[in-house]
Amino acid sequence: MPRDTSVVTPERFAEGLTYAEFLAQATVNADKFEHYHRTSPLTADDLAFFAEAVARPDGLAKIMAIAEAWCGDVYRELPTVARIAEASGAELRIFLREQNPDIMDEFLSNEGQSRAIPVVVFYRRDHRYLTHFTERAAVAHQDLADAQAAVTADLQLPAGTKLGTAPQDQRQAFITALIARIEPRLPEWQRAAIQEMRSLLATALKTTEAAAGARVTA
Amino acid sequence: MSVSLPVVYTIRGCDACVKLLDKWQAEGMAFEERRVETSQVLMDEARRYGAMVPIVVWPDGRVEQGLEGHISCFII
Repeated sequence: MPRDTSVVTPERFAEGLTYAEFLAQATVNADKFEHYHRTSPLTADDLAFFAEAVARPDGLAKIMAIAEAWCGDVYRELPTVARIAEASGAELRIFLREQNPDIMDEFLSNEGQSRAIPVVVFYRRDHRYLTHFTERAAVAHQDLADAQAAVTADLQLPAGTKLGTAPQDQRQAFITALIARIEPRLPEWQRAAIQEMRSLLATALKTTEAAAGARVTA
Repeated sequence: MSVSLPVVYTIRGCDACVKLLDKWQAEGMAFEERRVETSQVLMDEARRYGAMVPIVVWPDGRVEQGLEGHISCFII
């Protein structure tokens, strides 16, 4: 979690890549970024929500993303974040994980053990932190857990076997079966990520704006 | 694929990739590393074998993905 001492100062934020610059430096997956930008499942209601968040006097103004172009969760979600920024007027800056370990260290997940990406961080105009979203939505994590349990049963592996613990001689079968189960769920993961970002942002804005009588609904 | 050394597809910064290469280097094992984030050709090549790096293609054609006990990275 970022704090008053965050390494992401306004000056550092301004040094981040724009979405166009991020795409220009990416050596892989240009087709996927283009596809997911064109087909982002953002609804008119989603866009209205983010536009309202930006229009508020003390509302959303900046979005920072930590990303790498090779990552599937990044190319499925970052184009949507770019669409949000484009439509709402929020300023989006992107930092490459491997070139910015100090920023990544502020947003570790899995109790500080994982450098999961993408990370999407929302700030107010004066650069105060609002909230952030990491990697994928809760429903996606649940899907993964359910799929791992199902594959474990199918392959007759010990209960509780996961990606990280599947025995090496059965990892290929485990991963292949796992991918087959989760691929049909990916569109739902995209929608869920948007909903989760909305929910996080609505809560963060409400926390400090309730006193002013402002209203933001997820 | 016809190879005489194991080929390992990796990504810079991938925990499991680093652990595997460290282990192999400590053992003095010869291998060919292909960093998939450096080109679309290598990314597409890796995806033909799997969805999660490290992906090892052994000279006999066997393929292994990921590394037991470590966080691997999806490339799909």
